[in-house]
Amino acid sequence: MVWQPMANPYLVVEHLTKVYERGQVLALRDLSFAVEKGEFLVVIGLSGSGKSTLLRCINRLIEPTSGKIWLDGVDVTRLSQARMRRVRRRIGMIFQQFNLVDRSTAIGNVLTGRLGYLPGWRALLGWFPKEDREKALANLERVGLRDKAYVRVDQLSGGQRQRVGIARALMQDPEVLLADEPVSALDPATSHSIMQYLEQMNRHDGATVIASLHFLSLARRYGTRIIALKDGQLVFDGPPNAIDNAKFKEIYGEDAEEVEVR
Amino acid sequence: MSGESAAVVGSASGDRLAVLARRALSFFLDWMVWGYVAYCVMYLLNHYWYTVHVDWWGTLTLPSWGWPLVVLATLELAVWCRSLGRSLGQRAIGVAFQDAAGGRITVGRRLGRILLWHISVPLFAVGFWRGWDPWHDRVVGVGLRPISPDPERPGRRALATQWGMVALFLGALTLWVGWLIIGINFQVLARRAAQTRRIWGEMLRPDFRYFTAPDPVFSLRALSYSILDLAVVTVFMALMATILGAVIAFPLSFLGARNVMGFSPPGWAAYGIVRGFFNVFRSIETIIWGSIFAVWVGYGTTLAGILALTVHTVAALGKLYSEQVEGVSPGPLEAVWAAGGSRVQVVRHAVIPQVLPSFWAFTLYRWDINVRMSTVIALVGGGGIGDMLFYYKNQGDWPKVGAVVIVIVAIVWAMDYISGRLRERIA
Repeated sequence: MVWQPMANPYLVVEHLTKVYERGQVLALRDLSFAVEKGEFLVVIGLSGSGKSTLLRCINRLIEPTSGKIWLDGVDVTRLSQARMRRVRRRIGMIFQQFNLVDRSTAIGNVLTGRLGYLPGWRALLGWFPKEDREKALANLERVGLRDKAYVRVDQLSGGQRQRVGIARALMQDPEVLLADEPVSALDPATSHSIMQYLEQMNRHDGATVIASLHFLSLARRYGTRIIALKDGQLVFDGPPNAIDNAKFKEIYGEDAEEVEVR
Repeated sequence: MSGESAAVVGSASGDRLAVLARRALSFFLDWMVWGYVAYCVMYLLNHYWYTVHVDWWGTLTLPSWGWPLVVLATLELAVWCRSLGRSLGQRAIGVAFQDAAGGRITVGRRLGRILLWHISVPLFAVGFWRGWDPWHDRVVGVGLRPISPDPERPGRRALATQWGMVALFLGALTLWVGWLIIGINFQVLARRAAQTRRIWGEMLRPDFRYFTAPDPVFSLRALSYSILDLAVVTVFMALMATILGAVIAFPLSFLGARNVMGFSPPGWAAYGIVRGFFNVFRSIETIIWGSIFAVWVGYGTTLAGILALTVHTVAALGKLYSEQVEGVSPGPLEAVWAAGGSRVQVVRHAVIPQVLPSFWAFTLYRWDINVRMSTVIALVGGGGIGDMLFYYKNQGDWPKVGAVVIVIVAIVWAMDYISGRLRERIA
């Protein structure tokens, strides 16, 4: 796949390669693509195809081996750790396993989304400003969990936990939202409700969303554009309706059957 | 075991050194088993010579040819055990003698192997480096190969196999020799029961005269304390040592946790130093710390006791805390990191909320231990109620000892109960 320059790309990934030291595993091989502001980009591919690695390279939770990532004209791969943290606070992230502190309350978890904006000593003491607390409650209200604000997270259901995760990402006022298989641990009905929150953040708040998904039907329904990875390489880049049966078999292998999520 | 899998194993064990190591190690283990048996036999011979024989002052000594004989005999026994069936050494390494196809070998071949071993080993005609197997094994067509349990053929009962019988024999021998080595004599329990009965009788009529009133005996040491005074001192000694220890161990535990310190060289250094400190200071018991601090800050002072308890508490709690920190789920750490948090913020907002309940539980448990330790730390000059206990004991004032013991039991029981209930609430 040849990468063609865009009119005004917001996020550009250039020749991104990631090699895991042990076992010489090539997780990403020379990956190049660009994302425009306000896109809802869905990354599809089999387990182990490099989706998670790609998302984590963008906010450098994983250090890329080579290649460049330009975000809003800044090469994030060359930033120092301190500068990177300032970039990261504008990049929200939602995780497959929610990554919440189970023993903490919902609002306690949501407030951690604000940590990047808090001076060191306040964060150390856990003294969040009043505005942040109000903002946290407002965001919980937005995901329909205002009444669960002071409930411990381990008392919540899977869908509710992911909504806490979304509220935490909302605290960052994110310009980019990375969603790493946000609905893989959820049932189909809950999946749609979570995806609708992502869609809302994309349309309403103008966040550029990059989500990795397992189900092609979800990708078609919510994505404005789809890229597909196979063994760390880009095998498809285009609009959702361009994935026909032949393309599907190429991405997921000959034996794959498409499963519909309603 | 099927021939097919043996072929796979054979090609996988291409490393000549591994084959050699497998042989040497299993042989050494077999030899040592019989070496241990020889040691036990010598011990038993000596023991019964010494105690039973008329010539009771003499010690059994071996003639000059005795030791070479022992070495040769143990070697011989090891070879027989290895060839005829599966020996303990082979079982420990997980190997067995098989033919080229990986099947079982006949008794004739086994005997042939023993015979040829006696030719090839003394002549050094082993020829390791010409093939995978030594000369005597190649001639009879067997080899020492790693085996896995064959699902087709259920194993025989352990006691029907060679290793089972040898293991049972070794166990019995160990019990026999062990009994003689520690030389305990339970008859004493019955013979001296009368003396103890007197002490028990006196202790069970406790003398609570000095429960609240200071005992004038201690005025000789310019001190005046009652049982209650020292009981309170002991409880607070344990409490202060636990709090101090926990406060010091808390920050250290993050330095001693692999996942928090990362993998940079300074991180490794801090981790190594802190973990080393925990391990060294924890392996020195509180009683030993007590005797050190008693010399340092004064014998019989509360400070010595508190310092001893604190040092051991720091090391023990630090290790427990660190292991909890290392066991946290990495998800929340990743989330705080992704939201732009610093390393300190990750610890504060992702690690601490996860570990705090177990930290509390460990601290309460340690308080429990410290209360028990603080009652005996006086034995080495650490102060507290034990001071009184050992003074009265040395005086033979058993009714007062009884009173102190009852107070100690009450304290320990109460603390046990309280910390147990609190831990229940936390978990």
